[in-house]
Amino acid sequence: MGKYHTIPIIFWIGFSLFVMVLSYKLGLEGFHNPGPGLMPFLMGALLLIISLYLLISALFGKRQTRGVAGDEQRQIDLSKIILVLASMFAYAILLERLGYLITTFLLLTLLFKSMGSKRWSFALLNSALVVLISYFVFTFLGARFPEGILKFRGF
Amino acid sequence: MDIFTGLISGFQVAIQPMNLLYCFVGVFIGTLIGVLPGIGPAGTMSILLPLTYGMSPVSAIIMLAGIYYGAMYGGSTTSILVNIPGEAASVVTCLDGYQMARKGRAGPALGISALGSFIGGTFSIIGLMFLVYPLAEAALKIGPPEYFSLVCMSLTILVYLARGSVFKAVIMILVGFILSTVGADFIYGKLRFTFGSTTLMDGIGLVPMVMGLFGISEVLTNIEGPLERIIFKTRIKNLLPNLDDWKRSIGPITRGTILGFFLGIIPGGGPLISSFVSYGIEKRVSKHPEEFGKGAIEGVAGPETANNAATGGGFVPLFALGIPSNVVMAILLGAFMIHGLSPGPTLIIRHPELFWGAISSMYMGNFMLLLLNLPLIGLWVKVLKIPYRILMPLIVLFCLIGSYSINNNLTEVIIMIIFGIVGYILRKFEYEEAPMVLAFILGPLLEKNFRQSLIMSSGDFSIFFNRPISAVAMAIAILLIITASISSYRKVKNKIIP
Repeated sequence: MGKYHTIPIIFWIGFSLFVMVLSYKLGLEGFHNPGPGLMPFLMGALLLIISLYLLISALFGKRQTRGVAGDEQRQIDLSKIILVLASMFAYAILLERLGYLITTFLLLTLLFKSMGSKRWSFALLNSALVVLISYFVFTFLGARFPEGILKFRGF
Repeated sequence: MDIFTGLISGFQVAIQPMNLLYCFVGVFIGTLIGVLPGIGPAGTMSILLPLTYGMSPVSAIIMLAGIYYGAMYGGSTTSILVNIPGEAASVVTCLDGYQMARKGRAGPALGISALGSFIGGTFSIIGLMFLVYPLAEAALKIGPPEYFSLVCMSLTILVYLARGSVFKAVIMILVGFILSTVGADFIYGKLRFTFGSTTLMDGIGLVPMVMGLFGISEVLTNIEGPLERIIFKTRIKNLLPNLDDWKRSIGPITRGTILGFFLGIIPGGGPLISSFVSYGIEKRVSKHPEEFGKGAIEGVAGPETANNAATGGGFVPLFALGIPSNVVMAILLGAFMIHGLSPGPTLIIRHPELFWGAISSMYMGNFMLLLLNLPLIGLWVKVLKIPYRILMPLIVLFCLIGSYSINNNLTEVIIMIIFGIVGYILRKFEYEEAPMVLAFILGPLLEKNFRQSLIMSSGDFSIFFNRPISAVAMAIAILLIITASISSYRKVKNKIIP
């Protein structure tokens, strides 16, 4: 059972229990007149049974699981992943405050620069270009973006 | 409506200038993202889904479908020239396509894959045209128990054909179902798992979910390592295959068309599996199996035809029954629902113009793709040179804007990012996202029919077994579960007691 890591299985067990408890509270009613909680409860129960089975199998076959994980083959650059995720969350927080133009410009400059663009001028120019094109194209297609601190009338 | 009248009315819809334009935009974007590794049709369609709100339903379907079959054309270009599949369904094309390119035969490899795709694509639309109406008419006669059993059977086939572990696929399906129950219950109106969020009252949005799972998590996987790739430098000449190439390819193309179409109909079948099966068959029936992997044109012609034929097949269960057979069809189903339509037998009988319009546009789309992929191949080779460090910020931006513009709601952006993280973690642990999305889409259909059946039978489960269609579907499902369980039990047993 080398391909089954125990961490996700434990997560699934917790998740299924959580779903089952909440579904039970919603009301199961019984099969003659199924209530709102019945379907998620059944799904949660099935998930629990499978996860428990996998957990037992994984524990039995633990010796074989060692050294199976293929993470050594590829060096993972976590810093880039964290940077992209953090910038996306920041974008979601700032979008309505600063407006589309500024927030998007900041996001793109950061991403272009951090992904390997050597020159600042390249990152800045590209970002400005993409911001303007995307703004006009998406507005033309009917999307409405927050103006934020730049409240240009008619822009 | 007979097929001839249907087609004429369909072409009248498809040749309207706006629909022609959307068809072109669809196939163009499809080829583009097919050529570019790192973004696939599912991610792209979800990014563009919010933009279709303002369109008529038929235009939206024409464009989105164009992206899907267009991507199958584009994917082969990257496989042949870079040895990286532009699309998952073009993985096997790398084996012989790249070898052909190394021998200076990139032209015929690209040519035969475009021509094979055209033949496979066109014939599968003909098959689709003939199969949908009889199936839809039969589907009109079935009730909730049959629908429930058919969905169960589809999902069991999906699990059975899953690439990785059977148990992981089942887990993903169950999680997809659980996620689909978020929001108001359709009978009692009671809120489920919303945790006080007003956004979640309507359920988790399909668009942010798919964008996160297929857009953002793909980006995160790609930026883990070095971002640059090496493009094989070759001069592309003689795109049209010679007589000998044709002689060798005609068999694989014919077999690929039939195989791809029927595998496309099966849930979980789709382009990827068709291309693999086609390659396997061609290698087996070939008189020179030793040439496979060294640049055999059969190894390009067969799979490339099959993956396009499978796209046409995939539309059969969607149009006839309203059941998507793969994740892209699930997104299309989502697009229908956004426009207030639910695909299935009643839709194509009440709104035949929608079905025939889409079918006719596919004929034209395939023709456009042939032109786009043969004379304009140079353009796509240039596209391949766009570095990922430039593409990546754009994909991130499109996902952010896309998820925001659905309802101008930042919570949906956060949901999208969370699904991006979830998708990335799932990939790390080798769980596939596709079964989850499919179950998420099918969840409401399954639950509704399950509950209605039980209300009909006052809680008696035999209702699923004493009606013929339902009984057959259930029997197939149970048989598949037993076979899959036995084989996986044997694997476990062999590992524990060697």
